[in-house]
Amino acid sequence: MKFKLPEMKTGLAISALVHAALLLWGLISFAAKPLEAKPSDALPVDIISDKQFSQMTRGVKNAPKDAKPAPLVEKVGTPNPVDDSTAKVTPKKELDATRAEVQPPPPTPEQKPSPAEAKPEKKPEPKVDPIAETLKKEEAKKKAEERAAKAKAEKLEREKKQAQAYDPTKIAALLDKRDAQRHAAAGDHLSMTPGLGKSQGTASVLSQSELDAMRRALRDCWTIPEGAVNASKLVVVIRVLFKRDGSVAAPPVLVQAPASSPYGPAMAESAKRAILTCQPFKMLRQETYELWKDIEITFDPKDMFGG
Amino acid sequence: MTFDNLYGRLPVVCRPLPVTRRMLLAGAAAGAASLWSPRGASAQTRIDVTQGTVKPMPIALPDFVGGTPNDGEVGRNVTQVITANLKRSGLFAPIDQAAYIERISNIDTAPRFPEWRTIAAQALVTGRITRQSDGRLKTEFRLWDIATTEQLIGQQYFTVADNWRRIAHIISDAVYQRLTGEKGYFDSRVVFVDESGPKNQRVKRLAIMDQDGANVRYLTRGDDLVVTPRFSPSTQEITYMSYGGREPRVFLLNIETLQREVVGNFPNMSFSPRFSPDGQRVIMSLQQGSNSNLYVLDLRSKAMTRLTETPAIDTAPSYSPDSARICFESDRGGTQQIYVMAATGGAAQRISFGEGRYSTPVWSPRGDYIAFTKQGGGSFGIGIMKPDGSGERILTEGFHNEGPTFAPNGRVIMFFRDPGGSAGPSLFTVDISGRNEQKVPTPGFASDPAWSPLLS
Repeated sequence: MKFKLPEMKTGLAISALVHAALLLWGLISFAAKPLEAKPSDALPVDIISDKQFSQMTRGVKNAPKDAKPAPLVEKVGTPNPVDDSTAKVTPKKELDATRAEVQPPPPTPEQKPSPAEAKPEKKPEPKVDPIAETLKKEEAKKKAEERAAKAKAEKLEREKKQAQAYDPTKIAALLDKRDAQRHAAAGDHLSMTPGLGKSQGTASVLSQSELDAMRRALRDCWTIPEGAVNASKLVVVIRVLFKRDGSVAAPPVLVQAPASSPYGPAMAESAKRAILTCQPFKMLRQETYELWKDIEITFDPKDMFGG
Repeated sequence: MTFDNLYGRLPVVCRPLPVTRRMLLAGAAAGAASLWSPRGASAQTRIDVTQGTVKPMPIALPDFVGGTPNDGEVGRNVTQVITANLKRSGLFAPIDQAAYIERISNIDTAPRFPEWRTIAAQALVTGRITRQSDGRLKTEFRLWDIATTEQLIGQQYFTVADNWRRIAHIISDAVYQRLTGEKGYFDSRVVFVDESGPKNQRVKRLAIMDQDGANVRYLTRGDDLVVTPRFSPSTQEITYMSYGGREPRVFLLNIETLQREVVGNFPNMSFSPRFSPDGQRVIMSLQQGSNSNLYVLDLRSKAMTRLTETPAIDTAPSYSPDSARICFESDRGGTQQIYVMAATGGAAQRISFGEGRYSTPVWSPRGDYIAFTKQGGGSFGIGIMKPDGSGERILTEGFHNEGPTFAPNGRVIMFFRDPGGSAGPSLFTVDISGRNEQKVPTPGFASDPAWSPLLS
C-alpha cells in the first residue's frame, strides 16, 4: 500500500515503533510475572424452587409455645422517671427515726465531753489527761457510732431507693438512650407477633406463606364431586382477578378445561365455586397487591385417595 | 465542510456524522422504550391446590310452588321426595327449610342470592306444579348455582297426576347429574323377595318397589318359593327361579301384565339366571350330577349354548356392560373364587386371591367394578374389585351380608343382611366408597334385591 501523503510517513513510523515497544514490554513483563487469580473458597450453592423453600421454612403447627413470648426489643420513648411519692415517704420516715435516734444520743455524750472538752480547753497544756483521753475516745466512739448509724440510715435509704428502682417498668429510664441497633429478622417494620411455627418474618415481598395460606383456604372451600375423585387426572386451571380487598373482580375464567370426561364440567364448576365461596381472601396483603391481583389456580385432586 | 480541531485546520473533507442529533434522539428513544417495554416475563403468579374436601354439598330445596291453591300439597310432596333422595345419596346436605330467609313464591324471577349465600347454600332448586285442565300435572323446575348466580337447569314435565313420584325422581336425577357429573339412579325400581311368616314356614313373594321404598307391589302370590329375581334391561320383564311343583324352573315375568312364561323346562336344577345387556339372552348355570356348568339361552330361538366344561361348580354368572365378558363363581381351584371369561366361552381367569370364599359376583353397569360376597373368618362381607382383580375393597361386613346388586349408575350397591336369630333379612344400600350405609324400608323382611336400569 502506498501512502500518498508524505507527512504521514514520520508519524506512521513513530506510531509503529511505539506500538511495537509497548507490545514488547507487555510481553516481557507479563511473561515474567504472570498474574494469577487467587483461588477463592468455593461456596456450596443449592438451587431450590419456591415450593421447596416454603416447605423447609414451614414451621410446625404444634410446636411448643413459649410460656411468655418475649417481645422483641423495641425502641421505647424516654419517659421521665415517674416521681413515686408514696414509695419515698417510708424511707424518709425511717431516716427521721434513725436521725432522731442518732440525735438524742449525741446530745448526751456531747454534754459529757463538752465539760470534758471545756477542761482541756481551759488547760491548753499538752498534758495527756487520761480522763480527757477516755472522754475523747468515748466521744470518738459515739461519733463513730453516730456516723455508723447515719451510714446505716443512708444505706437503708439507698437500698429502698434501689428496691424501688428495680421496678422493671422504670428500667426504661435507665436504658441506653441511643437508637436500637438490633432490628427484626427481616422486613420494613418490627414484628409484633411472637412466632409460633411461622415460616418467615414478614417480608415486603409476596411471601410463600401467604400463598400457602390461600392454598389452605381453598382446600377447605373446595368440595370435590365424589365421582371425580375416582376418575383422577382431571386437572382444571382457572384464572382469577382480584380486587384490593381480596374479593373476586370478575367471574373466574377457565384456562384449561379437564380432559373430556363426564365429570369434567362438574369438576370445573366445583373449582369455580370454591374460589367464589372462599372470597374475600383476607390473608393477601395490600402491599403486594400487584403480585396477587392476577392468579392462575390449578385444581388437581391427585393427592386425594385416587380410586 | 471542514473541521477545526486541535491540529489546526485540516484540509480534509469529512462528511458530517450523519445526523448526530437524530442519532441522539434515536438513542434516547431506544433507551426510553427499553424502560417502557413490558417487564419481560413478570411471572404469572400460580398456585396449586391438590387437595379438597369430600363432603356433601349444601343445597336448598324450598317447597315447590302450587300453580293453583290446590296444588300446594302436591308441590310439598314432590319436594319431600326430592329432598329425601338427595339426602340419601350421601352427596348432598339439604338445608332445613326453617333456616331459609327468602320465601320463593314466583320461580320466574331470580332468587335473592345474598340471602341464600348467608345460609351457606351452594345450590337452590325451585319449582312449580300446576294441574292442567285435562288432569295432567305440569311441573317446572330451576336449578340455581348460588356462587356464580347462574341458572344451571330449567325444565318442565307433563305427566299423569298419579305419577308425581316419578317426576320427583326425574328431577332428583337431573339435579344429581348436573352437580356431580354422575348419571342419577333415582328413577329406578328394585325387585326383591318379600318374606313373611315364621322362620320355618316362610312365605316368599316377589315384590317390586321404587328405589326409595315406595309403591310396593306384589308380583306373585306366595304359593311357590321364589328366589333370585333379576331385571331385564328392557325393564319390563323379570327372570326368577321358582320351586313350585317338583322341579325348580326359570320363569320370565312381565311386570305390567303379570304374565309369566317358563324360560326353559330343564330337567336339571338351574341357578341364578341373568339377562344379557341387550336383553336377548339369558345366562344361567345347569347342574349335572355333582357339578354345574354355564349355559346361554337365546330367548328368541331358544337355542342353548354351553360355555364351561369343567368338573367343577360354575355358577352365578354376570355379563359385563359391553356383553364381551362374563364373571362367575367357580370352585375349580378348590374353593369358591371369581373368574372372568369371554362371553363366548374359552379360558377363564381367576381374579380373586384373598383369604376366604368369593361368591355372587356382579358386574357394575359402569364396567369399572365387580361386586361380590366374601366369606371368611366367620363373617360375610360385601366388597368390590376391579375386573382385573386389583383394588379389592370390602364395603361392609356382618353376620350374613349377601347378594349385592348395583344401582344403574354403578355408585350404590344394594344387598341384604340377615342378622340371624328370629329376625329376618332386610335390604341395605351402601356407596361404593364404603360410606353412607342406609336401610331400605320394606313392608316386611326382604332379601335378594335386584336393581332395575333407569326407567327414563
